[in-house]
Amino acid sequence: MKRAWSVLLVFLVLVLALGFGAGNLKFAIETEPVGLDPHLITAFASHRILENVYDGLLMYDAEMNLVPALAESFEIVDPNTVVFTLRSNVTFHDGSPLTMEDVLYSFERIRDPNMGSPAASYYTEVSSIRDLGDNRLEFKLNVPMVAPLLHNLAGVNSSIVSKEFVESGANMQLQTNGTGPFQIAEYVAGDHITLQKCANFYEQGIPKLDSITFVIIPEEIGRVSALRNGDVHLAKISEPVSLNMLSANAFTIYRQPVLSYYLLGLNDQAGALADPRVRRAISMAIDREALIKMVAFGEAAVTGVMNPTVEAWAVPPSAFPEFSYNPQKAKELLEEAGYGDGFSFSITAAARYNFDKVAQVIQAQLAQVGIQANLDMVEWGIFIQKWRDIDFDSFVSMNGGSVDPDKQLYRTFHSEGSTNKFHFSNARVDELLEAGRLETNLQKQYEIYAELQYLLVEESPFIFLYSPNNLFASTLRVSGFSPMPNESLTELRVTEIQ
Amino acid sequence: MKLSFILGRLLSAIPTLLILTFLVFIALHLVPGDVVDIMLGTQNFLSEEQVQQLYSRLGLDKPLMVQYGLWLKNFFTFNLGTSLRTGEPVAKMIVEKFPVTFELALFSIVFSMLLGVPLGIFSAVKRNSKPDYVIRVLGLVGLSAPAFWIGAIFIVLVSGAFVNFTLFGFVPLFKNPGVNLQVMLFPSITLGMMVAAQIMRMSRNSMLDVLSQEYVRVARAKGLPAKKVILKHALRNALVPVVTTAGIQLGYLMGGTIVIENMFALPGMGRLLLQAVNQRDYPVVQGVVAFIGVLIVLLNILVDILYSLIDPRIELG
Repeated sequence: MKRAWSVLLVFLVLVLALGFGAGNLKFAIETEPVGLDPHLITAFASHRILENVYDGLLMYDAEMNLVPALAESFEIVDPNTVVFTLRSNVTFHDGSPLTMEDVLYSFERIRDPNMGSPAASYYTEVSSIRDLGDNRLEFKLNVPMVAPLLHNLAGVNSSIVSKEFVESGANMQLQTNGTGPFQIAEYVAGDHITLQKCANFYEQGIPKLDSITFVIIPEEIGRVSALRNGDVHLAKISEPVSLNMLSANAFTIYRQPVLSYYLLGLNDQAGALADPRVRRAISMAIDREALIKMVAFGEAAVTGVMNPTVEAWAVPPSAFPEFSYNPQKAKELLEEAGYGDGFSFSITAAARYNFDKVAQVIQAQLAQVGIQANLDMVEWGIFIQKWRDIDFDSFVSMNGGSVDPDKQLYRTFHSEGSTNKFHFSNARVDELLEAGRLETNLQKQYEIYAELQYLLVEESPFIFLYSPNNLFASTLRVSGFSPMPNESLTELRVTEIQ
Repeated sequence: MKLSFILGRLLSAIPTLLILTFLVFIALHLVPGDVVDIMLGTQNFLSEEQVQQLYSRLGLDKPLMVQYGLWLKNFFTFNLGTSLRTGEPVAKMIVEKFPVTFELALFSIVFSMLLGVPLGIFSAVKRNSKPDYVIRVLGLVGLSAPAFWIGAIFIVLVSGAFVNFTLFGFVPLFKNPGVNLQVMLFPSITLGMMVAAQIMRMSRNSMLDVLSQEYVRVARAKGLPAKKVILKHALRNALVPVVTTAGIQLGYLMGGTIVIENMFALPGMGRLLLQAVNQRDYPVVQGVVAFIGVLIVLLNILVDILYSLIDPRIELG
């Protein structure tokens, strides 16, 4: 009898060891990719998978510094010209070597108007991309804007694809062939995606894991439970309150402040909101700290025009009275603007990422200074259409952020900016935005963006609220994982599991 | 005669399906926000011109009626089109997802019959006793507790109490039956709870009705044991409305899978449908709805055939 038990025990241990092989990480995520073509994807859920499968010329490291990827180095020849030297030992997952032709073809594909690539606009100011021979590649620009160009080269949308593979008629939305540390081994839509280690990745010893299985579990309670009973090793946590279910001595919690931020978007032509004093009053009537406590359970930080963690550029929120709760001052400003008896407007929000809850808290806070906010709760698709058509008084949403001031500010605040859905137009702001992107002297550029930040707070075209912490939890067997400020998961290449 | 009945039912289903797919098509296109809006989200870098190109590439620049006509034409040649988001053929997506949903619905209905029918009969036989009251109250609870709540309770309790029980990570039944059954257990129970309550109530009422009929009284009067009267004489007749309920409930279960599959992360059709609606992936929604429509029509025909098997007095046609 004893013997039978020990045989069973050995068997169980073996099964467990095989089932959870040394380097196989199971990672619960909330949404799955929508399409796999790196030049077409817009969904963040696609980005975070594909950035482990495809490479661009550059990438960000864990501290958001630009570092070489497929380009082993680059040289800024003059403010309009940058020359990259490609790595020579890179192969695609199908075994074919990466060539200069693939690189040139990739940028042609991105810039092809028939493709409708979201990255096409990154390269409108590029006048030529040339092969200089010797693995050297030259980008020439019409304007001296090399810095934003370098940031644009680091996104998944600027990945290098294999010319031969694309031209063979492969459906790029369903099939992948990248140069990244992992390749897609299996994808069962609605269930899981398995990435397998790519044996001939150009960097020795990377990746550390043999495979990663992204298990798609849409419900938060499901992800937390899957982590607790060992179905997965690592899980995305969307609701800070879930952390209460994970005891600190059995799980590692990862908190990463991100660059994205919640905002109360305003229609700067809608009634009282057309007056910057009213907009500043709203800013001061919102108690951001309370908002963070109530909605984000403390897992967030007040943010400004530039994210305060981007120390090279940001004027910290503490420099502005507008970011501190001051109902008295808010009332004075309303009085001054002729709205001493208050006014009413509507807040449009969808039940997603807690936008609805943020709207409710703001509604309650604004009531304290006599402003009546009416909530207009809509489905996400309806929200996007209202946003696109500027069919709102105000809305709660989230904007992606950047470490680069031009990327963070131009499209949002320039009167012609593609995501300026605020009817905001200010000649001086436009002037500064245009000067900032062309300025090559770092000190002068800093001064331009500092003036811009003060001006933008004075105008308050919309209300900056807070940047949340990106939360993950893992079992204690996982090490080396670190989520990044841009919510990227490229650090999975150095993650290990015992 | 049976064959002509079935053919007739199938033909009469065609207008139903036409109306169904047309309504879904129109409803989905009337909802503000289309597939391109959602694709681009609020971080849109495309120019107006590029956006228009996107519409025409997806075939969405044609008038609505033309789009529906094209879809219908393809539908009758068994071509369900491809997903606007991923380019994957819709038929392939359905074929992949259907087994999961079917297994879930089947397990749920089996669970609900196993639980509902005996409880209902017991309750009817012991009418107005304490056990009857308890069962009836439980039935009410089962009917009124929403599935997403019951599901969440199960998930929290099971993940806390049974660390080695696999709750998440679907594997097909024939690939690994052990894990499959673990993963399917609680979703099936959750989904089956509400149906079990309905079946229980239906069995109870139906049984009470039959028990009060003359032939049952005759059977009792001639001295047959109670067990025999109930199981042999009454049960068969009492089951007819129960089977109807179960048949109708299968249709409900198909809808219920949307919530349950999302909750328990099962890669089935319900989840596919929800995701497609959220992304306004028109061909996928149309395809799945048409497929479920056909399925429910077939199920109803099957239920009609089952009637005549249970009660030979009922003739088809």
